[in-house]
Amino acid sequence: MPMLTRRTLLALSGAAALLLATGALQPASAQSGAAEGFVRSFADALVAIVNGPLPYAQKKAALGPVIDRNVDVAKIARFCLGRYWASASPAQQEQYTTIFHQVLLNNIAGHLGQYKGVSYTMHGETSEGGNALVATEIVRPNAPTANVQWVVETVGAAKVIDVVAEGTSLRLTQRSDYASFLSRNGGSIPALLTALQRQLDTTS
Amino acid sequence: MPKHLLASMLLAGIALSGCANRPPASDKEATADYEQTNDPFEPSNRFFYGVDDKLERYTLRPVAEGYNAVVPTPVRNGLHNALANLTSPVLFADDVSQANPRRAGDTFMRFIINSTAGGLGVFDVAKGLGYPAHETTFGVTLALWGVPDGPYLYLPLLGPNNPRSLAGRGVDSALDPFSYVPHGYGLLTLNWARYGLGLLDTYARLYPDLDRARAGALDPYATIRSLYRQNQASLIEASRHDKAETPPAWAK
Repeated sequence: MPMLTRRTLLALSGAAALLLATGALQPASAQSGAAEGFVRSFADALVAIVNGPLPYAQKKAALGPVIDRNVDVAKIARFCLGRYWASASPAQQEQYTTIFHQVLLNNIAGHLGQYKGVSYTMHGETSEGGNALVATEIVRPNAPTANVQWVVETVGAAKVIDVVAEGTSLRLTQRSDYASFLSRNGGSIPALLTALQRQLDTTS
Repeated sequence: MPKHLLASMLLAGIALSGCANRPPASDKEATADYEQTNDPFEPSNRFFYGVDDKLERYTLRPVAEGYNAVVPTPVRNGLHNALANLTSPVLFADDVSQANPRRAGDTFMRFIINSTAGGLGVFDVAKGLGYPAHETTFGVTLALWGVPDGPYLYLPLLGPNNPRSLAGRGVDSALDPFSYVPHGYGLLTLNWARYGLGLLDTYARLYPDLDRARAGALDPYATIRSLYRQNQASLIEASRHDKAETPPAWAK
């Protein structure tokens, strides 16, 4: 697994601080640290549920509102459909966004739900392409530790728009999955919706 | 060498099987997708992916599940550390070829400290002393030297690859001093045991995450392809941005 070492991150944040000091990134300075605090409170909420005493189904139900508050699900959904978004009718877009919401919740619950005793450490904030990147290291019992970066949109209310685990982006991976499915199914949105619904029915 | 035999079988397989159909030039978006995916051997890749999937399910999986269930975590972690320690000479050469003095220094110190104080590498003592672990390959070196990755290749037993990473694997294996142990004296057996345990260790650590990725995918083949590409890109970027030199303690 790729390791973004702590030193790399420190060096990156050091470089960011230098840029800030020289005024190269002036507009971001007002926001600096805000995304880190946002991710910390989001992660605390997630960890509290995951490490709590509830059974899996109830944990998943409890994760829903926390994710809705902190993640821009509609934006991620749209990104994941890529070029096919434009070819979907408004009704299909709406149906897709609704199903995607469930898929995302399932994925997150599936990633976190089995673990008890999850903890994390914060490794600072950098900015990239107008978004804030907050680095964390997640420690799971009986599993390798994972370097996870949270991509936070800082314009308007802070919302998570991507999660990058060990260098792999959730939304990029999802988009290539859907793109491949669609290209093998003649670009049919209804086929995608059916497949996603079937996936939900079997995994939830 | 069985490795060479395997490689020639794979190349023959690729040559014999068909190529993916390029979309018509009039469909610009589909063409862009096709180029970005860079998977002209998709039909044969998918075939090998399917073979590997079955192999994995019926051979490696039961062994890895048993291993995770029976062997206690500290022992598994110890074995993982010891195996990782044995790759230090190769890792060091890769760090040097990537012009990463600090990483090379970390690797060198980790090897010395963990091989001795860490009980033949079983305990990662060096991490606590400020020499963190990192991972890289000669494939990453080639990328930093400007070698393009080439088309995606899914190979049985070797998994996701591309020509650049395959070339890197070849160099890494040639750089490995353990590749040159003399035949006899039981050392060859030791080497095979090391490969076998390495495969088991890697797979046993990976499969829970791999399962989740595949369960969440409509097209697991495409998802693994995307994960592999992103993972490679992040290894390359991590090496590219870890160039700082650290003065040794006596020079401060």
